[in-house]
Amino acid sequence: MIYVKNLHKSYGKLEVLKGIDCHILEKEVVVVIGPSGSGKSTFLRCLNKLEELTSGEIIVDGIVLNSEANVNAVRREVGMVFQRFNLFPHMTALQNVVLAPEIVRKTKKAEAEKIGLDLLAKVGLSDKAGEYPDRLSGGQQQRVAIARALAMKPKIMLFDETTSALDPEMVGEVLAVMKDLAREGMTMVVVTHEMGFAREVGDRVIFMDEGVIMEEGEPNEVFEHPKNPRTQAFLSKIL
Amino acid sequence: MEMNWKAAVDSIPILNRAALLTLELTAGAIAIGVVIALFMALARLSKKRILRAVAIIYIDFFRGTPLLVQIFLVYFLVPRVLHWDTLPENYQYIAGVLAMGLNSGAYIAEIFRAGIQSIDRGQSEAARSLGMNHSQSMRYVILPQAFKRVIPPLGNEFIALLKDSSLLSIIAIEELFYSGKIIAGRTFQPIPMYITVALYYLVMTQLIAQWVAYMERRLGKNDLR
Repeated sequence: MIYVKNLHKSYGKLEVLKGIDCHILEKEVVVVIGPSGSGKSTFLRCLNKLEELTSGEIIVDGIVLNSEANVNAVRREVGMVFQRFNLFPHMTALQNVVLAPEIVRKTKKAEAEKIGLDLLAKVGLSDKAGEYPDRLSGGQQQRVAIARALAMKPKIMLFDETTSALDPEMVGEVLAVMKDLAREGMTMVVVTHEMGFAREVGDRVIFMDEGVIMEEGEPNEVFEHPKNPRTQAFLSKIL
Repeated sequence: MEMNWKAAVDSIPILNRAALLTLELTAGAIAIGVVIALFMALARLSKKRILRAVAIIYIDFFRGTPLLVQIFLVYFLVPRVLHWDTLPENYQYIAGVLAMGLNSGAYIAEIFRAGIQSIDRGQSEAARSLGMNHSQSMRYVILPQAFKRVIPPLGNEFIALLKDSSLLSIIAIEELFYSGKIIAGRTFQPIPMYITVALYYLVMTQLIAQWVAYMERRLGKNDLR
């Protein structure tokens, strides 16, 4: 589903990604963990080209990310959820959800709204369809953001530390929605600090540090018997 | 010589008409200015160097030279460029509105640019990640939010423009200041006339300020940030 070949990314002299190779299968849930500054968010943002690649190649669902048209085509198939929600503040929850289907997919308004309401129901926010984002809690905003991404009927979902900006009591409601998605067979790449989630839902865990993949494998294997000393040091600090 | 307010009071019908013309000239200039400004602001933020260069030159020129000079320049240049042998009737209005519109376009472009740049990058990232292209993301996500934020500085610009329209008296447009000056000269009552003219401007700028405050309240309703 996603092929990443020798991906490098630099900001000026600072090299953030130093050659990433990775292959993500259909319906696979890949959890990316690692210390801050390890490049895991940058890696995720390269997958839908929110970051320009310095070198390397990325192929998503058979489309090479090398032209403006291809990038837009890939973005239609890849949903993304951000740490800071990034809901559109001038639109209601429902308007946030239906905007992209209407103008990008040219879905009829009535049909888009039906899909939108279904998705808001799915994330448990049927009663908030008419609310503006600033009237919603962080957890509710993030669930709207997930519904918004799902409205494009993506084949892949990217989650960029989606619970890191939330108050602790709201983390659970967002993780629950993500778990449901994983169970339904969505292909997911999840950057997170929630090790419980990684263990429970992940098919594979990738440990990144200093811009490279240090270790990857089945969650239980990586968490119980980390081979790389870096992984051991990281896990001993957080578990 | 004694100060006499009769002349000023008698001239109210003329001044009303002149004030209306001032408002019309200003509205015309705003309409032209806003359209130019939108294109210039987007060009200024474009990835294409040539577009950025055009915008920068335009903005620098119209901000960096006096409006008075621009009014004369437009007045004499347009017939020359279009090869007009005789000037159309009421040509001075066209030249006047055009000059003011071109000038305000530069200032409003900078206001729009600041507004667009003030919107969090996450907004365009979210829009782009949903598959919207650059112009869709601008139109549906960035500009509506930016527009809300630029209303106060836009109000300032409209007020400045209304006052600057008095410069159009130089090409014999009978707007408010021009009419006041003529009547002051004819009646030998400059002080009452200019006080009256000043009050007319004050009322009009207050109206704009009120309208801006109203727009700000109305559009700000759903945006607590």
